[in-house]
Amino acid sequence: MLKFIRASLIIAAIVFGKTASAQENFTISGYIKDASNGETLIGATVYVQEIDGGVVSNVYGFYSITLPAGNYNVEYRYIGFENQQATIDLTQNVRRDIELGESSELLEEVVVTAEKEDANVSEIEMSTVELDIKTIQKIPAFLGEIDVVKSLQLLPGVSTVGEGASGFNVRGGSVGQNLVLLDEAPVYNSSHLLGFFSVFNPDAVKDVKLYKGGIPARYGGRISSILDIRMKEGNSKEYEVNGGISTIFSRLAIEGPIVKEKASFIVAARRSYADILAQAFTDVLEDGAALNFYDLTLKTNYNINEKNRIFLSGYLGRDVFRFDERQGFSWGNRTTTFRWNHLYTDRLFSNLTVFYSDYDYDLSFGENDRDKFDWESRIRTYNVKPEFTYFLNTNNEITFGGDILLYRFKPADAVGVSDGESTDISLDEKKALESSLYIGNQQTLTPEISMQYGLRFSNYTYLGDATVYNFNDTIPGSRRTVVSSREADNFENIESYRNLEPRFSIKYQFEPTTSLKGSYNFTSQYIHLISNTTASNPLDVWTPSTNNIKPQTGQQVALGIFKNFGGNKFETSVEVYYRWTRNQLDYIDGADLLINEFIEGDVLSGDGRAYGVEFYAKKVTGRFNGWVSYTLGRTELQVPGINNGEWYPTRFDQLHNLKIAGFFDINERWSASSNFTYISGTPTTFPNSRFEVQGYVIPYIAGDVRNNLRVPDYHRLDFSVIREGRKIKKNGKKRKVQDQLVFTLYNAYARRNPFSIYFRQSDAERTVGDPIETQARQVSIIGTFFPSIGYNFQF
Amino acid sequence: MKRFIYIPTLIVLLIACDDQIEADLTEIDPIIVIDAWLDDTGNGQRISVRRSQQYFDSSPLTGIEDAIVTITDDDGNTYPFTHTGQGEYLMVTGADMFAEVDRVYNLRVETSEGTFFSQTAMNRVPEIDSISFRFEEEQAPFLPDSYFAEVWARDPDGAGDTYYIKTWKNGDFLDEPGEISIAYDAGFSAGGNVDGLIFIQPIRDSVNPFDEDRSENAEYDFLAPYLFGDSIYVEVHSISNEAFFFFQRVQVESGRTGGFAELFSTPLANVPTNIIAEDENIPVLGFFNVAAVSTMGRTLVDESDVREVPE
Repeated sequence: MLKFIRASLIIAAIVFGKTASAQENFTISGYIKDASNGETLIGATVYVQEIDGGVVSNVYGFYSITLPAGNYNVEYRYIGFENQQATIDLTQNVRRDIELGESSELLEEVVVTAEKEDANVSEIEMSTVELDIKTIQKIPAFLGEIDVVKSLQLLPGVSTVGEGASGFNVRGGSVGQNLVLLDEAPVYNSSHLLGFFSVFNPDAVKDVKLYKGGIPARYGGRISSILDIRMKEGNSKEYEVNGGISTIFSRLAIEGPIVKEKASFIVAARRSYADILAQAFTDVLEDGAALNFYDLTLKTNYNINEKNRIFLSGYLGRDVFRFDERQGFSWGNRTTTFRWNHLYTDRLFSNLTVFYSDYDYDLSFGENDRDKFDWESRIRTYNVKPEFTYFLNTNNEITFGGDILLYRFKPADAVGVSDGESTDISLDEKKALESSLYIGNQQTLTPEISMQYGLRFSNYTYLGDATVYNFNDTIPGSRRTVVSSREADNFENIESYRNLEPRFSIKYQFEPTTSLKGSYNFTSQYIHLISNTTASNPLDVWTPSTNNIKPQTGQQVALGIFKNFGGNKFETSVEVYYRWTRNQLDYIDGADLLINEFIEGDVLSGDGRAYGVEFYAKKVTGRFNGWVSYTLGRTELQVPGINNGEWYPTRFDQLHNLKIAGFFDINERWSASSNFTYISGTPTTFPNSRFEVQGYVIPYIAGDVRNNLRVPDYHRLDFSVIREGRKIKKNGKKRKVQDQLVFTLYNAYARRNPFSIYFRQSDAERTVGDPIETQARQVSIIGTFFPSIGYNFQF
Repeated sequence: MKRFIYIPTLIVLLIACDDQIEADLTEIDPIIVIDAWLDDTGNGQRISVRRSQQYFDSSPLTGIEDAIVTITDDDGNTYPFTHTGQGEYLMVTGADMFAEVDRVYNLRVETSEGTFFSQTAMNRVPEIDSISFRFEEEQAPFLPDSYFAEVWARDPDGAGDTYYIKTWKNGDFLDEPGEISIAYDAGFSAGGNVDGLIFIQPIRDSVNPFDEDRSENAEYDFLAPYLFGDSIYVEVHSISNEAFFFFQRVQVESGRTGGFAELFSTPLANVPTNIIAEDENIPVLGFFNVAAVSTMGRTLVDESDVREVPE
């Protein structure tokens, strides 16, 4: 803690030291909004001609810039919107809320990012990925289902272990190392139907930003990436209905003002409807059987006055599979977030977030009460998070705040009944408290050089009540057994960990269209996703760091060069990164990870490293636009007891990862898009020989190696065509309803892309005593092409 | 449990393809494999000493014919074995007296390539109380009207008993890796905390074969587990905890089902062995266990053998 205070003082000294010579300063501040619906604009630019510089609006659309008294020409810009000029005679603090109107050129020019035109080069941020919802809607999606998470996988450094796998991997990190935030609340499982669709309703999403590196001090808790998803606030001017129907989901979103310009709401719902259709054809779904998944997003906000605004948002999503009334499983996330934006002064913006997040699943078997098994598992998170931004002057923007999280893990609330006798096999709740303090500054040193630096101090406590186990020493690769145990009292501090996490980024824009950027960050992670399967599954449990499981830590350095051509028409970048991590989890062979009181004895711990280079070129504007993304990367683990303690590639190690996305506006009503994916084969383990014990043929791998070979490469081409409905009626009046038809073709040349290769006894019929044939088999999750049609409407 | 067949069918909508392919595997020298599963039944006690094969080689196994195989126990008894052909060794004398609960047994196999050892104790086994049959209506398109067998036994008090349940239908052993049935106390795993109960339902039900109906124009995907006239014979073997974990691993490594399940498969890894080589540079595979066995058989003759399912 002392270190943290000392470091904060040093930062303060650097920042404030420079302001000694200040003359009288005044502040221009306010919110920047979309004139059509009142949604605040994130990342809009406020450019001041006289200083050839400016600021960018924050995630709540707020900006603040402090300048010496004088006359200023201020320009408000947001791509896809008309610029707005203002001449401000700055003799006192000025509040200027701005509404930008959509650009009339919009019809001809497809917006690829909602950003300042040269943000790629001029902003300090590197290793971030942003997609606006308009782009996401154009990407050909599996079964026509627009998908936030899948879309991100078209960008450099983001990958997945394969089709159908939930979550995503960033720069060699595992799925459980990503922090997915929906309006500041963590979402523990971001997938519907195992991993085919993500849980975010595109109709309710406003902004998506992924931090792959250079993570600012305000974020923490996971070591690989932060996916920050912001929901729409709801149209504050008029009622609006969006909806659609496609292969899997039917969607409906209603938004509108509660008090015009003061308060608004959005309600967005999606539900799969396959079960409803199926009922017409089969009786499989009778007797309480069910197969559906849905999500509901609610948000409302109220502008109390110029200085105060509150938001309340909620999310509920669930997947339900029931074979009958008694048997089946389901899982889902629930989050509730309350936020309060408050302006202490024109220069001190604050946001207070309080949230509750709950992820749970249940599983039940047994056709009657005499023989059954019911299991529920959940993780609850309670959080308070005050954040402050102090707009010190045009050159410094200081952020500071804190974060307190209380986790309650209930891995198993379970009962088994055998022939009428029941046993409770529940596991005790585990509690943990994670708190952090941070301070950071974004500082412009010269027009060419700017820096972002900060420190995050995180403190973690594993709390009682719990049975605390001590295990025997690690024998690499073997299950550890309990040598002693004791009972800890309620809220007793069983084990604590703390980390000081420095974060640093620098930008050097040595010519107007080119900049060099570098970053370093240290991150720590105190809760762990326990999963030893190829793809993470909904029954995977999260577990806290304990006296036996240490927190994961990660460090990353990244260097990049960013250059724009042709008047910002083309954006290009090359980034290299190296990431090294400690206390990475792997598992003993045959680990028992579900309902295991002694799970800590089945977990192994080691080191990780990942490195690569990411190339990105994007044509931003024009009728034909799109991007090429290529990542050359490696990700490896070294865990005592696996692969003889040597480095081995992770299951999602992909040497080459090429993605091409193209968008073409044919005319006002028709547009087409296509993407192509090429990924090197992922690692797998092949056996060398076989042997028989008790008549079973068992594979044998010489030297106990892991992931020694690779499945064949993956490539796929998708298309989609969008036909906009008429905007104008035959009588010349504007049509009230705007609609579109989306035709999608996924996996156009029907390649059977390999997901995995496995080895087994042949299942051919065989009489006793015959030799047992063995074979290698390749699995493709989506082994053919998939056409689909969707319909979207808005009024 | 069988209703879980629905999951893949309902989820998919999607067609996961699963094709046989050619794979280039690195060849290695064969390894000695000792397959030593003995029991207290008094029947011929056999141990085989053979070699491993290349993975795609399904030719008959090569036996080691000049090994000296002996079992000793902690009561000073020695049980010699004699070679009967193709690497198989038969207990010469004392098979009728062999094996007592809680006795510790030592295996010693001496070959020209090295000497190998193992040790295990024989654990207790509960009596099988009964075998019952119940009727289940057709579940189109998966299963026709069927009779399901259940084997009833109660795990004795005291945690840590482990069993291997072997089933024969009409004299044919259910020998697929997917048909391996093992129990930890009355349940599936050590964490299950189901000590002293009657075997839980999925274990009682594990004696039912689910064979694909391979006939042309098959109306259902699977054949009925049992029909009138079918017989069932069940053996419950007590096995060591190490042998339980061995089978747990064999279930995974030999019983991969492919298709959609590959999403949630674990990395291929070697199964453990409890055979130790005197010279640790010489690799050896296999397993040694001595089991107490309880048995029961029954034939499903007609309606009078069918017990109502308790509601």
